[in-house]
Amino acid sequence: MPDSICPVTALIRQLEETLHAGRMANPWNRRIIEEILDLLKDVAWGRAGADHLPAIKELAGSLRDEPLSTAGVETRRQVLAALAEHDEVFRSHVATHNCATRDCVKLAPAPCQMACPAGIDVPTYVSLIGLGRDAEAIEVIRRDNPFPWVCGLVCTRPCEFMCVRGRIDTPVSIKFLKAFAAERALSERRYKNPPQEPDKGQKVCVIGAGPGGLSAAYYLALKGYAVRVIEALPVSGGMIMVGIPRYRLPREVIDREVAMLQELGVEFRFNTRFGSDVTLADLKAEGFAAFFFAIGCHSAYKMGMPGEGDFPQVLDAIDILKRVALGDRTVPGKKAVIIGGGNVAIDAARTCLRLGSEEVTIAYRRTRSEMPADEEEVEQAEEEGVRLAFLTIPTGLTGVAGRLTGLQCLRAELVRKEGSSRMSPVPIADSDFVMAADVVIGAIGQRVDNSCMTGLQGLEWTRRSTIQVNMVTMETSIPGIFAAGDAVTGPATVIEAIGGGKRAADSIDRHLCGIPQPKMPPVPVRRGRVEYFEIPASTKMVLKRPEMPLLNIDRRRTTYQQVELGYSENDVREEARRCLRCDICLRCGKCVEVCRDKMGVNALQLGYFDFDHPVKTDFRITAERCITCGACAANCPTGAMQIEDREGERILSLCGTILNRQKLLFCDKCGATLGPARYLDFIRKKTGAVGPVSTDRRICDACARKESAKVNVDIMPV
Amino acid sequence: MVFRRGQRVEVFRKSSDEGWESYMDEYVGAHGIITDPDTSINDPDQLVEVSLEGKGTHRLPQDCLRPLVE
Repeated sequence: MPDSICPVTALIRQLEETLHAGRMANPWNRRIIEEILDLLKDVAWGRAGADHLPAIKELAGSLRDEPLSTAGVETRRQVLAALAEHDEVFRSHVATHNCATRDCVKLAPAPCQMACPAGIDVPTYVSLIGLGRDAEAIEVIRRDNPFPWVCGLVCTRPCEFMCVRGRIDTPVSIKFLKAFAAERALSERRYKNPPQEPDKGQKVCVIGAGPGGLSAAYYLALKGYAVRVIEALPVSGGMIMVGIPRYRLPREVIDREVAMLQELGVEFRFNTRFGSDVTLADLKAEGFAAFFFAIGCHSAYKMGMPGEGDFPQVLDAIDILKRVALGDRTVPGKKAVIIGGGNVAIDAARTCLRLGSEEVTIAYRRTRSEMPADEEEVEQAEEEGVRLAFLTIPTGLTGVAGRLTGLQCLRAELVRKEGSSRMSPVPIADSDFVMAADVVIGAIGQRVDNSCMTGLQGLEWTRRSTIQVNMVTMETSIPGIFAAGDAVTGPATVIEAIGGGKRAADSIDRHLCGIPQPKMPPVPVRRGRVEYFEIPASTKMVLKRPEMPLLNIDRRRTTYQQVELGYSENDVREEARRCLRCDICLRCGKCVEVCRDKMGVNALQLGYFDFDHPVKTDFRITAERCITCGACAANCPTGAMQIEDREGERILSLCGTILNRQKLLFCDKCGATLGPARYLDFIRKKTGAVGPVSTDRRICDACARKESAKVNVDIMPV
Repeated sequence: MVFRRGQRVEVFRKSSDEGWESYMDEYVGAHGIITDPDTSINDPDQLVEVSLEGKGTHRLPQDCLRPLVE
C-alpha cells in the first residue's frame, strides 16, 4: 500500500473491488464485507465511535473460507493486516475527525488548521465568532491552546499565511478575531475551564513557566495530574512576560489567562531555579513521576566586538526587555543603537523610545528585504521614530574614560559568494565611520542557558546547543523527562511552544499510563462542523480585511499602553464572514471541471483552488453564466456546493456563499417545478433537434406526455 | 539563501542535518510558506519554520528548502 494513500480509503477501495469483481461466492462473506464497508465509511466520514474498530476486527475474523478460492482468507488477512499496520491512523480518524492525506474527503483538514503548530480548529472558531458565539469559540480554541488572548495579540499566525482567502485578496484576520473573542468572553465572565478528569494520583513537575511549560501544565492538570511549575523568575509567562514588551502584550492578559491554570490547581513556585534551589533528586524524592523542561532561550549571544566588555553601556536586548518588564524604567541612554534585524531588535528599539531615549537607531548588516523582523513591527517602529541603518556592519566601540561614545561601523554591500545562493554583506573598503551612541544594545540572537541542567546525566544536546528530543513525543534521551519550547527549537514562536507543550502533555500521560507512544506527529482534531452562514457572492467579494486602529503616536512614543486597539464588534463579525470554510470545501476542483468540461458552461471562476498558481477569483461571475443545472453540486464530494429550491427560487451556494439564485418556473398544468428559465433554455437548445416544442406553454414532462398521448390517440385511430 | 517570512518554498531534498527526522521524508516535494525565518541574524544554520501545504507546520533545516519562483 503506497504511503501517500490513506489506509482507510485504501482498504475501502480494496473491499469494494473485491465485492464488485465477484470474488466472494459465499453470501455470508459478502454480507460481512458489506458490513465492514459500512463501518469503514463511518470512519472515513467522521461518524465512527470507539466501538467501530473492534467491531471491524471482529467482523473480519468471522469471514469464512471460500469453497473454491482463497478470497475469504485473503480478505480476512488484508483487513486485519491493515488495522494492525496502520492502527494509529485508523484511531486518529476516529478521534480527530481529520484525515491528513485528504483522501477521506469529508475529513480533509483546513489549511489554516494544518498550519497551526497547536492544531487549533480555526474554521470552527472563526465561524462561531461570526455567529457572535465568542465564549464557544474560546472553548474550541482552548481545546488546543490555553492562551487564546495572548496568541490573539502576539502570535506569528502561520494560519494566516496559509489562509486560502489570501489567494483571493488578503487572509482572514484570524489572530485579531481570536483576541476579540477572548477579551469579550473574559469580560462577560464566560471564559471557563473545561471539566478536569478524575485525579490520577500522580505528580508531574514542569520546569519553566513560559508558554511551553504553562501549556503542558494546563493539559496535564486537565488530565488529572497534580502539577507543580517551577520558575526562576518572580512572575509567570517566561518570554511572553519578560521578552515581549507591554505595549504589545499587556501584563493583565497574561495574568488573567495564567489564573485559569491556578483555578485548575496548578501550583507555582516562583524565584526557584532548577539545579541550584531544587534538584532532580529533590523532586523525585517528593514523588514527582515525570518532568517537563521548558526553560526557554534566555541567554544572549555576545557580539564579539573589541571593547564589548569595557563599557557598562553595552547591553543585551533581552536583558533590557526583562528589566523593563519587571518594572525598571531607567533611561538606557540618550542615543541608543541596537544591533540586529529581528523582532527582539525592534522591541528593544521601541522600548528605548518609550523609556526616553532621544535618538534610537537600528544597525543592520543587510537590507530591509532581508530583515527577519515582522513587517508590521518594523513599520510601527519607523512611525514612532526609530531610524533604520541598513548595510551597516558594527566593528567596534569607542569611548572616553570608560564611558561609551560611539559605535564604529563599516558600510557594506550585498555580494553573492562563490558556491552559495546566499547574499552576504561584505564591507566596503575605507567606508568606516562612527555612529554616535551612549548605549549599544546587542540583539543578535539567544541561546539556551543550560547551566541549570548540567546535573542531568545522560541528557543529549544538539549541535545548536538545544535539548535533543524526539519531536513526535518530545521525550528527551532520559526516560520520563520531556522538553519543548525554545529550549528544544531554539528561539521560536509562542504558538510552537504551546503546541510542543500540548504534545508533551499527551506523551507524559501515555508514559505514566503505560500506553505506547505515537510514531508520527499528531493530526489536528476537528472540534466541530459549524453550520455556515449565507452571504451573497457580492458581499463575499467586497468585504475587506479591516485596518487595525492604533494608539496615537504621542502615546506610543511615551507610554507602554497597548498600541493595537482591537477591532470593533462589527468589524469582527464581518471579517469572520470572509472565511471560505476550507474545513468543508477541500478545493478539489470537481465543480469547476464538470461545469466547464462536461456542461460547457464555465460559470465557476474559482482561481484560489491552486496553491502554487492561484488565478483570479470572482464569485459574482457565476450568476452571469450559471444555468443552475446542479451538476457541480451533484459532483461535490463534501457537500460544500449545494443547490436547493426555496421560496420560488433555485439557489446555488458554495459553503454558504450564494453564487446564483434564479426564479423557478412551474408547470402550467400541474404546478410541478420545471426549473429556472435559463436552465430550461439550455435544455431546449440541447434537445431542440429531437423535437420542437409545439406551444409556448410551459409544462412538465409528465403533462407533456399526457398531452401528446391524447393527440396521438386523436389523430391516429387504432 | 536568506529566507523571508511569507516566501514560498519547496522541500526539494532530505537534509542530513540532525534536525531532520525520518517522518519528514514524506515532506520532500511539498510546497509551503516560510512562517518564521531565523528571527535574529539570518543564520543559514538555524532551523526555520515552514507551513507545508496539507502537511502542517514544521521547523526544518534550511538546506532542504529552495524558493519557488513567484
